[in-house]
Amino acid sequence: MMNVEARKRSLRYFFARVVDSLGYKFTPDEELADFLLEQETGLEQKHGSPFCPCQGLTQNHEANMKIVCPCIPFHREHFDYMKRCWCGLFVHKDVTDPDSLPQIPYADFRKATDAGGSGESR
Amino acid sequence: MKNVFMYTLSTCPWCRKTKKYFTDHNIPFKYVDYDLATEQEQQKIEQEMTKRGGQLSFPWVLIGDDLVVGWNPAKYDELLALSKTS
Repeated sequence: MMNVEARKRSLRYFFARVVDSLGYKFTPDEELADFLLEQETGLEQKHGSPFCPCQGLTQNHEANMKIVCPCIPFHREHFDYMKRCWCGLFVHKDVTDPDSLPQIPYADFRKATDAGGSGESR
Repeated sequence: MKNVFMYTLSTCPWCRKTKKYFTDHNIPFKYVDYDLATEQEQQKIEQEMTKRGGQLSFPWVLIGDDLVVGWNPAKYDELLALSKTS
């Protein structure tokens, strides 16, 4: 039986190092961060990887791999535009008020940026 | 009043906030937790969500015929205000 709190600490340590190099940090909303890490620990126990708690798993393994946390590299332009990842576990380093950052759906991001052929897809 | 329907995830805090928003506003809604649905139901939901140009990002909220993806209380307010006058 996995120790959930220990695993959360471990994920936090690992994720912090990865997202730092991408220009992101953990959300300053500690309650949110703890809740999301708890969900990811549960998803890892159930499905084998700490998947994003706010994106859906499918039968498509390749698509699923793009929502393993931290999934920023697979959604870079979209998340950079929002200054946060979809679930909000990570925000740009300059963000002090995460509540001010709305979730912008991918389709709206594409319309706003008129990205044409660029951007990620699942 | 417009019908409100949503696809959510049981693991998603923004989905919980969305459900609370509609509950607090006394607006009835129906929902399906995608992650708790059967595989067959999940495939149907996936088809519906992607058909409407989206990814499997939650919460996915239909207010009448208007789709709102993500936690967006300002948009919910706007669409509900419209529905109150119709």
